[in-house]
Amino acid sequence: MNSSYILRRVGYGLVLMLGVVVLNFLLIRLAPGDPAMVIAGEMGGATEEMLESIREEYGLNKPLVVQLGIYVGNVLQGNLGESFFFNQPVASLIAQRIGPTILLVITAQILSILIGVFLGVIAARKPNGVMSGFVSVFATIGYAVPVFWTGIMLIILFASVFPIFPVEGMQSVRLRGADVFTKTLDIAHHLILPAFTLAIIYLAQYARLSRASMLEVLGSDYIRTARAKGAAEKTVLFKHALRNAALPILTVAGLQFGNLISGALLVETVFNWPGMGRLAFDSILRRDYPTIMGVLFFASAMVVVANILTDISYRWADPRLRGKS
Amino acid sequence: MTALLDITDLKVTFNTRYGQVTALDGVSLHVNAGETLGVVGESGCGKSITALATMGLIPMPPGRIAGGSIRLAGEELVGASPARMRAMRGADIAMIFQEPMTSLNPVFTVGDQIAEAIMLHQKVSADRAFKDAVALLDRVGIPSPADRARDYPHQLSGGMRQRVMIAMAVSCRPKVLIADEPTTALDVTVQAQIFDLLNEIQRDFGAAIVLITHDMGAISEMADRVAVMYAGRIIEEATADDVLDFPQHPYARGLIDCIPALGREEHALKEIPGVVPPLHLLGAGCAFAERCEHANDRCRQEKPLLVNHDHHPAACHAVEEGRI
Ligand SMILES: Nc1ncnc2c1ncn2[C@@H]1O[C@H](COP(=O)(O)OP(=O)(O)O)[C@@H](O)[C@H]1O
Ligand SMILES: [Mg+2]
Repeated sequence: MNSSYILRRVGYGLVLMLGVVVLNFLLIRLAPGDPAMVIAGEMGGATEEMLESIREEYGLNKPLVVQLGIYVGNVLQGNLGESFFFNQPVASLIAQRIGPTILLVITAQILSILIGVFLGVIAARKPNGVMSGFVSVFATIGYAVPVFWTGIMLIILFASVFPIFPVEGMQSVRLRGADVFTKTLDIAHHLILPAFTLAIIYLAQYARLSRASMLEVLGSDYIRTARAKGAAEKTVLFKHALRNAALPILTVAGLQFGNLISGALLVETVFNWPGMGRLAFDSILRRDYPTIMGVLFFASAMVVVANILTDISYRWADPRLRGKS
Repeated sequence: MTALLDITDLKVTFNTRYGQVTALDGVSLHVNAGETLGVVGESGCGKSITALATMGLIPMPPGRIAGGSIRLAGEELVGASPARMRAMRGADIAMIFQEPMTSLNPVFTVGDQIAEAIMLHQKVSADRAFKDAVALLDRVGIPSPADRARDYPHQLSGGMRQRVMIAMAVSCRPKVLIADEPTTALDVTVQAQIFDLLNEIQRDFGAAIVLITHDMGAISEMADRVAVMYAGRIIEEATADDVLDFPQHPYARGLIDCIPALGREEHALKEIPGVVPPLHLLGAGCAFAERCEHANDRCRQEKPLLVNHDHHPAACHAVEEGRI
């Protein structure tokens, strides 16, 4: 792997992020509604002078291009502005919440890939078998059912029928003074339902995709070669076939990451998970523009980083791509 | 003396959308130690299926070994346990395939792929196996073998990849090496090199070779004995010289007429008219009857058996009746 490729990829990612910042700004500003009214509303009344002074204070009376220039300049300095509602810097609001979101999204991604690919591989072994049918049905259901519905169903199930998993929040209040190990276990315990809820749609897709990909690979000549060497069936499946079948799965995993983040927004809201999703939800309801833009910025940054990692791992996984640009 | 590889009355069927078809209909072959048996026939005659059945690699389903016996050094392979077959594949019996471009795994280095074959059957360290792989690459005539061992298949030419396949196949010194049209996908100049290499390998490693080909020229250079296949049956079998000089079956005669002889003009090349019939359309009679100028009613109704005639065994009513 050449480092110039990685550098180029990162540079490209930075340009993309700049585009995202500009687009975010324009999208939000072009949406109907007057932020000054919103801020005034929070303060409990709005005379024309008040609105004027608010516009003055937040720079809302300057031309759009100037506002954009100021915003981009601020972002470049790491200043995402001040939340209209929380009266705190957006950056620190996000800093408090990005950890739980990353934890949730990554756990869901790993869960969905591991379980999905495993189901797909098993199904591909016997394309007309029971497991194959199960994967197809499961994939269709997983794909069709909205995540908030799955979430609510799981909450109902685990809140009343089998109360073995917590259905709300990320940590138990009573464990505030506990040691790190106990706390970690507690977080993991809280993580199970939201992560599984988020994972389930993607899990189904990975299962179907890896089933198809494995079926194609298992018909290849090099699989016959592996068998002709005397390799055991599980070596053939999990080493020779899966390494090749993983390539399209990797591509999709990268593309799905963005969807996973937007899915996390809903799941966090349903399970009251203290991440960026809740923050986004709250700030959208309150027209808290700086916060919305900050959340969008970080969500995009996560997608861009995920895509860079996908590209790099793809080239690592497929030797035919190495050394090419 | 019993043969090293002895296939008797092998029958392989496939379930297809036309119903069950018989791909191999009572194939009998034997190969002695150190010998090269040529198996010839046009595409679709069942050569590869015979090879795959011997390796225990027929896809089941849709395939099924419906009868017969395959013995390797006296041991029955039909019905042997999967574990026993795995232990023998690559160790006692190995195979080279027709498509060197796609027969190697694109995501592993060729050195690792050969080393894997070694480690599957010998208790050696990964390090030792990789060193052996490099030595094998050297043995099959790959220049700078230590560097090439770290290459991925896509970095090598077709001829080089076929050499890698050969190195992999002989890595555990198999008793029988099946080469299924090893040069069909290669340039003519490379073809000759691969045949030379197979000859050398046989001399050094002492393996019996089953050379599957539709190239009668290769047969005359390589084979001690020849079996001619048509539509899932052996229709003639003898020493290479006998088959080449005195072909009996009209199909064998046709194949030999197709050999481009020295000094003969290209356009004078003959071709057997027609094609191998699809398996589901095989009737009760001789499968070649449709394409045969000597066919009569008996040929169309009754399958000829492989029986001895003046020279050697051939399955043809016309030969039996002395009509040709
Ligand atoms: N998986 C399969 N399903 C059905 N028929 C098959 C299958 N594999 C091979 N056959 C049939 O078996 C016959 C022999 O094929 P093959 O041994 O590959 O011929 P060749 O002599 O060219 O190597 C062909 O008619 C082919 O259509
Ligand atoms: Mg073939």
